[in-house]
Amino acid sequence: MLISLVSACTPTVRIEPSDKPIVINLNVKIEHDIRIKVDKELDNLLENEQLF
Amino acid sequence: MKYTLPALLVSLLLSFNASAMTLQDAKNNALVGEQINGYLAVITSSAEVEALVTDINAKRLQHYQRIAQKNGLSTASVAKLAAEKAIEAANTGHIYQDKKGMWQTK
Repeated sequence: MLISLVSACTPTVRIEPSDKPIVINLNVKIEHDIRIKVDKELDNLLENEQLF
Repeated sequence: MKYTLPALLVSLLLSFNASAMTLQDAKNNALVGEQINGYLAVITSSAEVEALVTDINAKRLQHYQRIAQKNGLSTASVAKLAAEKAIEAANTGHIYQDKKGMWQTK
């Protein structure tokens, strides 16, 4: 009797994780930003006639 | 103050040395070539050209390292990007390496 009451009060919460992984891909943007920054720095560097 | 005069003399000496042959002279006379790795190569060897190339490549390396560190890239990849730009910007008559590493004249 007691056992059945206790078990009746036990809430069942089930969280099922998605079987698909969550992927957030920021590589393209980061690489693009770096490329632009490096491009500018190299352009400045190439203006130095002592070096290029 | 005590060291100003010797320092001035040294810098004068160095500037005379550097003015003996400029990089632009060396490029215009096809004495040096632009490699695909971002560094200069000696095409026609002499003590002067060797010294010039060694000096310039050491300075280029420092700049490549600085830019690479700042942007989280490898020094070699920055050097390669620099090479692409330098080769593209080369004037007619200048020596450069093509993508296979063969010497070409612009």
